[in-house]
Amino acid sequence: MAGSMNEPVLEVRELSTSFFTDDGEVKAVRDVSFDLAEGGTLGIVGESGCGKSVTALSILGLVPRPGRVVGGEILFRGRDLLSIDREELRQIRGRDIAMIFQDPLSSLNPVHRIGAQIEEAMRAHDKVAPRDVRPRGLDLLRQVHVPDAARRVRNYPHQFSGGMRQRVMIAMGLSNRPEILIADEPTTALDVTVQAQILQLLRDLNRDLGTSIILITHNLGVVAGLCSRVVVMYAGEIVEQGSTEQIFDAPQHPYTWALLRSLPRVDADRHERLRSIEGLPPDLIAPPTGCKFNPRCPFRLERCFSEAPELKPVGDGQVAACWVTMKRAYAEMGAGSLLDTRAGAASGVRPPAVPLPLAITGGSQTAGPEPLERE
Amino acid sequence: MSRASSFIGGEAVPKVTRGTLVYIIQRLAIIALTLLVVSFVVFVVVHALPGNAFISQRVHGKTLQLLLHEYGLDQPVLIQYWNFLKGAIHGNLGVSLYIRGEAVTPLVLRELSVSCELGGSALIITIGMGMTFGVLAAIRQNTWVDYLLTSIAVIGYTVPSFVIAGLGVMIFANFLGSVTGGAFAYSPVWTGTYGTIGELWLPALAIGFYTSGQITRITRASMLEVIQQDYIRTARAKGLRERVVTIRHALRNALVPVISILGTTVVGILVGVLVIENIFGIPGLGKEFVESILQHDYNVTVGVFTIFALLIGLSNLAVDLIYTVVDPRIRY
Amino acid sequence: MATTVTPWSEYEGGTLARQQVGLWRDGLRRLRRNRLALAALIYLGLLACVCLLSLFWTPYNPNLIGVCPTYALPGTPGHPLGCDDLGRDLLSRLMVGSQVSLAVGLITAAIVMVLGVGIGLLIGYLRGVADAIFALIINVFYGVPPLMIAIVLYVLLGPGVINIIIAIAAASWMDMARLVRGQTLSIREREYIEAARAGGARTGKILFSHIFPNALGPIIVQTTYVVPAAILTSAFFSFLGFGVPAPQADWGGMASEGFSPLLAGFDPYILLWPAIALSVTLLAFNFFGDGLRDAFDPRQRR
Repeated sequence: MAGSMNEPVLEVRELSTSFFTDDGEVKAVRDVSFDLAEGGTLGIVGESGCGKSVTALSILGLVPRPGRVVGGEILFRGRDLLSIDREELRQIRGRDIAMIFQDPLSSLNPVHRIGAQIEEAMRAHDKVAPRDVRPRGLDLLRQVHVPDAARRVRNYPHQFSGGMRQRVMIAMGLSNRPEILIADEPTTALDVTVQAQILQLLRDLNRDLGTSIILITHNLGVVAGLCSRVVVMYAGEIVEQGSTEQIFDAPQHPYTWALLRSLPRVDADRHERLRSIEGLPPDLIAPPTGCKFNPRCPFRLERCFSEAPELKPVGDGQVAACWVTMKRAYAEMGAGSLLDTRAGAASGVRPPAVPLPLAITGGSQTAGPEPLERE
Repeated sequence: MSRASSFIGGEAVPKVTRGTLVYIIQRLAIIALTLLVVSFVVFVVVHALPGNAFISQRVHGKTLQLLLHEYGLDQPVLIQYWNFLKGAIHGNLGVSLYIRGEAVTPLVLRELSVSCELGGSALIITIGMGMTFGVLAAIRQNTWVDYLLTSIAVIGYTVPSFVIAGLGVMIFANFLGSVTGGAFAYSPVWTGTYGTIGELWLPALAIGFYTSGQITRITRASMLEVIQQDYIRTARAKGLRERVVTIRHALRNALVPVISILGTTVVGILVGVLVIENIFGIPGLGKEFVESILQHDYNVTVGVFTIFALLIGLSNLAVDLIYTVVDPRIRY
Repeated sequence: MATTVTPWSEYEGGTLARQQVGLWRDGLRRLRRNRLALAALIYLGLLACVCLLSLFWTPYNPNLIGVCPTYALPGTPGHPLGCDDLGRDLLSRLMVGSQVSLAVGLITAAIVMVLGVGIGLLIGYLRGVADAIFALIINVFYGVPPLMIAIVLYVLLGPGVINIIIAIAAASWMDMARLVRGQTLSIREREYIEAARAGGARTGKILFSHIFPNALGPIIVQTTYVVPAAILTSAFFSFLGFGVPAPQADWGGMASEGFSPLLAGFDPYILLWPAIALSVTLLAFNFFGDGLRDAFDPRQRR
């Protein structure tokens, strides 16, 4: 393992990616920055559509049309991946940085045998000698605990179960022993028990091979199981970043806080309602002004409607982008005993009157839920 | 791993199981049944046609009666068919009525080989041109390449083949001939039984243009759909070269809809053969078919029909078998 | 930017819901925007006008021999398109030729639609034995090129435009029947059919009031494709010598007459004009069909 332990293996700086559709520019990723430590495990969490997958795709230059990276730097071993030529990027893909995807059934070519697909990944690069390709393929399958590897190597993807397919994908991803493995929702399409096995597998691989891992998911439980650092994304931006302990024990951004609250708990009172976050993610073509979370935030202030907060340190190595932060919310707004989490419920702040261009079918322009009496 | 086997995805030969053999036998049985029905229907219809080969040759009276009896034409149709069938099973399709005494089977077989030469060339053009255009149009979607190739395809499958043939003759025979003073002209005259390459290419192109248009269209549409699929993204993420992604991953999966219209394509080629042979005077089955109808030469007509039906049945079976090679999820 | 009124959702900054537009109105709107299909429609309209006109008047009598020197070139005064090998005016013949093509195309399509829809609905709804027989017939029909079937039928029936129509229709109805059968099979499983049956509706009423209207989209699109196919087949017919009896002009026949002079090295115009007319007409029908299909394809809703 070359390189000092202090230098991150991947540095993402102010990455911005947009999709140029007929309806306008969809700003999918805006000014995202994070580091991946060597041998580290980073989790990127957020709802569907928050830009986490697009961020990952941007790293490898796999953003589909009509999308395009529009700004930023991605430093891998000191080279900016956004400015190298296509052939160099192609060589890095699969060899130095590998990516595995969410649905292994649709992500594997259905008409090729899986042995051929794994071997293909190796033959495309020159890290593994040609005569070692086939034995290494078998070896990889065994490493990911695919039983009866010698026979199953000739099977087609549809002959495997979901969990097995994902293992095959992991084997394929690791075949050239990359420095970084990006896993985009690797467990979302799988049963819970299989999820645990896959996560365990990734943990072992990270520990034994030293592969740095970026794990993308909307499931906080998965993050807790595998990652040491977490990045929380909302509407294409990072709203909070920190170590896993910090994020889980003391989340500072209201969104992170709400996410953690919304996890159904086995030990919760049966009569407690499920605590989801009210509202929907914003339109990325014309997002709200100010903090993008303001339409759903219980703790919003007037400032949140006009000024977008920047990431500021809120702990040792923890940053959050919020004018309020949970520290204040607990202290001043009674967040600890809050039952009504509708927008503005805790702070009592309504959005300012804004002239709207189109007529509405009823309801006032500044309609918002009346904050309930706090119990 | 050879290029071919990597295209197939690991191994060139799929396993032939007992199920496969059963399926083949079932299909052959259906083909036989179809041939039976087709030959019967055609036989009866053709015998119901007014006039016969002898009358058109101005034979009448006593000679006519003799000839009719000699060729068994004075017997009821069903008996005639039964006789025909008995002979057909042994490969004897009767004798031509127009050219007295000439056995139908060798005649038809010889013309079949000519038509196969023409049709086969057309098929090569169809698949080669069609798929290449389709793939190119798909990967360069919405560029001038796409518009050009798609337009060519549209013209191909809309415009009648004789128009293409006519255009070809106009440009390559007359125009070229007048410009180069007769040195480099295409000669639309077919020499010998099998012609030469120089005489084959234009008729084959005239036929193939039509069917390749259909193939281009389907290949393009199928490729466009396949390119969106997740496994293409995986292939790129593995760091494969773009050409490998296009051919080994995208095209390979895009083939299934293309294969499924191959059956129709073969029929289209047969229709084209019919027409083009008559235009260029190529001594194949198509020309024979038309002549035999005009000459009331029943046995030949039935023979040609039967051969066509056999060709179509076999090609459909071949297409269904090719499916198993292309898509390993399909097994019989 | 959207020009339709978009009602706000309840949450400020939430995603906006667009108003739902009906399938037919949406389809017509998209069809109007498809310029290729519109151009095709305009051309077809003009063609129809020329065809109707030719019933009453043409510059010269199309069948009259010797109105101009044989093989006269286009541009000869009085004969903008030239004359054929028998001295007949090509423009007049071209105009009259449209009658046969359009008649055959449209009437065949109508017959195919009625036949195919009728049979398809019945087979799809009743299934069972009828379906098995249908499958058998279809297999036999598909075993032979339709052109051959049509030719044999035509020879059996004897010359004449009506018989051409019958022959081509008899060889073309299978595709429509298959399409309608497929549609019927899937539509009959829907809940409102079960509701109608439970309400005691008779089979006929179910077929025509419920199933048929829902399958109408693909049926119309398919019919638009039958027209050029029929015109093409009739052109082949004439070309091979099985067409309308002389001296009635028709595009396929004209093309056929034009081929021998071409092969002999003469000027191509006798072949060229009907070839262009045929090609453009076929293209127009195909483009219009494509436009219809794209406009009403539910998968492309915006």
